[in-house]
This record gives sequence, structure tokens and C-alpha cells, in this order.
Amino acid sequence: MSVHDDFGNEAIERLEWSDSKQDQSPQTKARAVTRRAALVGGAGALAAFMLSPAAQALAASGPGSIFGSQKKYHFVFVNHVTTNPFFTPTINGIQDACNLLGCSYQWTGSETSNVGQMVTAFNAAITAGADGIAVPLIDPTAFNAPTTKALGKGIPVLSYNADEPSNGRLAYIGQDLFVSGQQMGAHIKALVPSGNVALFIATPGSANIQPRIDGAKAALKGSATKFTVTATGAALPQELSTIQSFWQGHTSYKGLFAVDGGSTQSVFQTIQKYNLRGKGIKGGGYDLTPITQKLLAAGQGDFTIDQQPYLQGFIPTLELFLYHASDHLSGIADVDTGLKFLDKTTVKPYNNTKSRYEGTSTKAGVS
Amino acid sequence: MAATTGTDAPASAPSGGPARRRGVPRGAAAPLLLLKRFITMREGSVTIVTIALAIYFSATIPVFFGVANFQTLLTYFAWLAIIAAGEVFLMINGEIDLSIGGVYLFAPLMFYEINGGGIPLVPSVILTLTICMAIGFVNGVITAVLGVNSFITTLGTLFTLEGLTLIISHAQQLIMPGSPGTNPTTGAQEVGTFAQVFGAGTYSELIWAAIIVVLLQVALTRTRWGLHTIAVGSNKIAAAEAGVKVRTVVIRNFMVCSTLAGLVGILEAVRSSTITPDPSAANSILLYAIASAVIGGTLLAGGSGTIIGAFIGALFLGILQDGLAIKGVNADYLDFYLGLAIIFAMLINVYIGRTRRRSGVG
Repeated sequence: MSVHDDFGNEAIERLEWSDSKQDQSPQTKARAVTRRAALVGGAGALAAFMLSPAAQALAASGPGSIFGSQKKYHFVFVNHVTTNPFFTPTINGIQDACNLLGCSYQWTGSETSNVGQMVTAFNAAITAGADGIAVPLIDPTAFNAPTTKALGKGIPVLSYNADEPSNGRLAYIGQDLFVSGQQMGAHIKALVPSGNVALFIATPGSANIQPRIDGAKAALKGSATKFTVTATGAALPQELSTIQSFWQGHTSYKGLFAVDGGSTQSVFQTIQKYNLRGKGIKGGGYDLTPITQKLLAAGQGDFTIDQQPYLQGFIPTLELFLYHASDHLSGIADVDTGLKFLDKTTVKPYNNTKSRYEGTSTKAGVS
Repeated sequence: MAATTGTDAPASAPSGGPARRRGVPRGAAAPLLLLKRFITMREGSVTIVTIALAIYFSATIPVFFGVANFQTLLTYFAWLAIIAAGEVFLMINGEIDLSIGGVYLFAPLMFYEINGGGIPLVPSVILTLTICMAIGFVNGVITAVLGVNSFITTLGTLFTLEGLTLIISHAQQLIMPGSPGTNPTTGAQEVGTFAQVFGAGTYSELIWAAIIVVLLQVALTRTRWGLHTIAVGSNKIAAAEAGVKVRTVVIRNFMVCSTLAGLVGILEAVRSSTITPDPSAANSILLYAIASAVIGGTLLAGGSGTIIGAFIGALFLGILQDGLAIKGVNADYLDFYLGLAIIFAMLINVYIGRTRRRSGVG
């Protein structure tokens, strides 16, 4: 077991070392060091050691001694909504895995689900000789040719967050958006067995949320739960206004549900503003913004969905590295990152903590 | 606006002079003349279109004409009127500011960082608005002194600010300081004084909009600054030769525009309790602001425009969005209807504009 212990310590050291490198001021640096010294006995001395060049040399050789690979790999993650806060934990996961394994990454693609831009970025990565590429397959055919080309050049390709089985990718890490929508639809049917419900989507056609609502619609079709789909807009304050207006025109509706983070937060805020819980109105949606978490814990909604975006960055990086380190013998596996339905009680730990895993902090650990 | 049966020159006519000189019309001609005079006002056409839209929605949606909906309607248009007013001032000056979207996104984040550094809420607002003024100053200097076209300058500033917002915030959503909180036991909303004043109070955005629109309209029509703005927008070279300090005027107007965009960013962030560093939001705000300004009767070419018109243009867009949302228009159709409505409103503006030029008014 000693190899695993060393690995664990190594991991903590690397993460803390790069974290203290990011600190902006002497105060925050001192505070962070003091906190950790209090938590882990002797960690103060360890931190001083970590900042020395000797520690840097030691850390750099870490993955080599464990995995037998000294090379600093460069992985390219193509994404369809590069600036969307949903993927902040994903980027954290990629960063942590890269720091752990001595690799580097590039986060690129399109801001607006433009498949053409994503394919261009994919091809640029192939030309630049990336050591691995990961991409959400938001289009059924557009990525097939680039994937084949990359695999032909010995570049492993994984898909994450969104999948298309007919593509030649080596594995898929994530939870299918359409399936998650179907599960939400089933949840909605259980909460509102009959009557009208509203389904809100920020920007119809956007590839990271449209499949969710398609799944929900498919699950609810033909049932006694009738739904109306409404667009709420790209700006969060606008989403709030739209959902409030909608409610005033549809006070007979029994439930308000949303498939993106901003609309979900606005649903909960609308329920709070008009005291809809007292009228038995149900509400729920996706993702965890700070306000969504607070309002759910305060009972202003029924559920939200956590798709563990951190793992969707961490695990692909790990797999791509292991694929190289093991000389293609191992590393690749499909991973279902799961779907967590959080309710009033299970959301509480999210409210009490900030971490890179949820995209609410840039510091290592959970605080 | 009530039609009087031609006994005297109508009190609500824009200028009583010409009507008196022409003699007082009798009978059915008077309300028609009044209508003609009204719609030849710069703001007249957009007012009529807005009223028509409001009547349509009131007739087809029972809840539209009620207090609750009025309060919701405010959240669509009051902030838009403020940001459009600043943009109009600059458009009259012959320039355009695309970076208002970026400032809208950047200001709440700056407020968060300044407040997080230990400075109380209201001083943080003042400091943030000063930073926005500085951004406007930079825009103005690059445009007026260095001679870069304002479209390009502000396009660059827009992307720079959006990127800076993402970098500083690490693309994380943050809770806006001072915004309404939630009582953990009752679940009810708790709105503090700061939040009441700065956007979360029911009428706070409307009051801000009314004050700012009135101030800017007075500045435009009654002060030398406004006069110089119009002069520079109409003919920059002639204005310079007449002794107007063109560079100062342009820079000052850029500062006004950016400051108002920053104020709106803060108001909206307080109302929604969240700072969302998402550039797509910024770009849609930008387009709505310019649409309000243009629908309200401000020319893209510069030299002529109206702040009141921007207010009414914002009201038009607000009523449109509110009505379509209440009706529960299918998600896929929303943009389609919005686009058609904007084109239709502009066609009427252009048609009336031709009528106005032919009638010799304005």
C-alpha cells in the first residue's frame, strides 16, 4: 500500500504547490499556508519545502516514477460552449489532472455551439500534433471524418458530455443529455401526474441544452402531463422577467421546470417571489448556481440535477494519459458520470462548501 | 392626446405658433391635423406603434392590463431605457458604442471585487462607476484623438471586457453583494435598503430610468453640451471650425454612455442576485439597446435623435417581449416575432419620417 500512500501525498503536494503559486497577495498566501498548517500537522514545514526548487524537481519527476512516462503530453479539449459556467468545474478537473500528471491542456472550440468552429479547432489540434483530443459529439456526423483522421495519426479521441455512438471515438465519459432529460421528464411526471407544466429553455437550438428538453418532451409525450416550451433568453435577468411574465399568464399551471442553470434559478426565484409553494406549485431544473442551491435548501423548489461536470474533465485527461503511458495497452473505458437529483436536504452540503469540484472556488480542497 | 373639437389650438401640439397663424380649423379637420402634427414629432410614430401594440395585448390577454403585469413589464424596459439613453446621446454625436455589452458584464464583477476588498456597498458602486467612466474615456480617446472609427474601437473594447470578465471571475457565477437574500427558515425573500434602491425594489429601475431620461433630454435640448453634441453629429468639420471642442464633446459622451451601461449592469445584477460572466448575455443586451435607440427615432448616421424616443423604443420592445412571454409563445417562434416587429416598427418610422420632411416640420 505504500506506493498508493506516496501517490496520495504526491497528489496533495502537487495541488497545493500549484495553488500557492496562483495566490495573488502575501496575505492570502500566508492565510492559506496557516490554514493548512492547522489542518495537517507539520504541513507548514512541508509548504516551505514545497516552495523550494528541490520540491519542484521532485514533483516534476512524479508521474515518471509511477507510470514510467516522462513525457509532458498536451491534450486538446474542444467544447461547444467554451465560456459557459457549467463547464468551469470541467476545466478545473482538466487542470487538476494535468497538474497531477505533468501534462498541459488547451480549452478551445466555439462559444455558441457552432459545429463548424468546433471542427476547425479539432483539425487544428490534429495538425499541431496533440497527444489526445476530447470533444462533445453534439452533431451526428460532423466529427466522424476528423475523428478517423486523428485516430489514423495515432491520436486518441474521446467524447465527453455528449455522445454519438456511430463516431469512431475510443470511449465516452459523461451522462447523455437526452437520457438526463428523459429522467427529468419521469421526475416531472411523478411530481405532476396530470395537468399543465411549463418547460423553460434559455436558448433553443443550443447543443448543450436542447437535447435535455428533447428528452423531457419525449418522456412526457402522451401522458396526462401537458407541457408548454418557452424560450427565456441568454441573459439571466431577462430569463427572470420572462418566467415571471409567463407565470402571470398561466396561473393554472401546476409546475415550472427548466433545463439550463439560469432558467432554473429564475424558476426558483419566481416561486419565491409569488409564494407559489403555498399554492402547491412544483419546480425544478438543472445545474447548481449559488442562488439555486440556497433557494432549494430553503424549500423553494423540488429538485435540481448535478451532472458532475468535474469528472467530465478529470477522467478523460486521466484516460488519455494512461493510454500513452501504457503504450496503448490500457486506459480507455466508458464512464457514466451519473446523474444526481438533489432535493432540499441533499443540496445542503453544496451550500456549506466551496470547491473546485463545483466550480465555486479556485482553491484546492473543499472549504 | 385627447382630440378636442376644434375650438382653439390644441394645448398638446408641439408648437402653438404655426397653428394660430394658419387660423383655427373647425370640425373634423382639427383632430386629424392634431394627429398629423403629433406623428410628425420625432417620437410620434414610435409612440403610436407602442400604444397599438399595448392595445393589442390588452385585448387578447386578460392579465396584461393589470398592476402585477405592469410591475413585471418594468423589469423588461426600465433598464433598457437607461442603457439606450446613453447610447442615443452618443449616436446623436455621430458615433456608436458597442462596448456597452462588455461594460454591462464587467461592472457587477468589479463591484463584487471592490466590495470583497472591504469597501462598503454604496462607495463600491461609486468606485465601479468611476471605472466605467474610465473605460468610456479610453474609448473616447482612441476614437477622437487617435482617429480610429468608433465601431472598431468599441468592438475591440467589447471583446476585451468580455474576456477580462471571464478571466477575473474564472467563469464562475457569483452572488451579487447587497442583493436580496433568502430567509433560511421561511424561504421568503429579504430585500435590504441597498437592494431596494439599486434595482430590486419594484419601482426602483423605473425611477432611475425616469430621472436619467429627463436629465439627458434636458441636457440634449437645453444645454450647450447638447447643442455641441448635435452640431458635431451633424457636421463635424463645420462644428470644429465654429469653435466647438469636438474631442472633448466626443470623449465626454463616451464617458456618459459607459457609466450608464455600468449602472444598468449593477441594477440588473442586484435584481437577479447573480453575476453571470456569460458573453452571450452581453451581446444580446447590446443589440436590444441599439434597437431601442433606432426604433425610438435616432438616426444611425448621427446629428438627430431623441432620448424620450429611446425610452419609448425600450417600452415597445419590453411590451413585445412581455406580451409574447405571457402568451406562452413557443420557444422557436420568439426571435421570429421579435425580428418582424422591429422591422415593422422601423418601416413605420421611415414612412413617417418622409411625411415629416415633406410637411416641413423637424
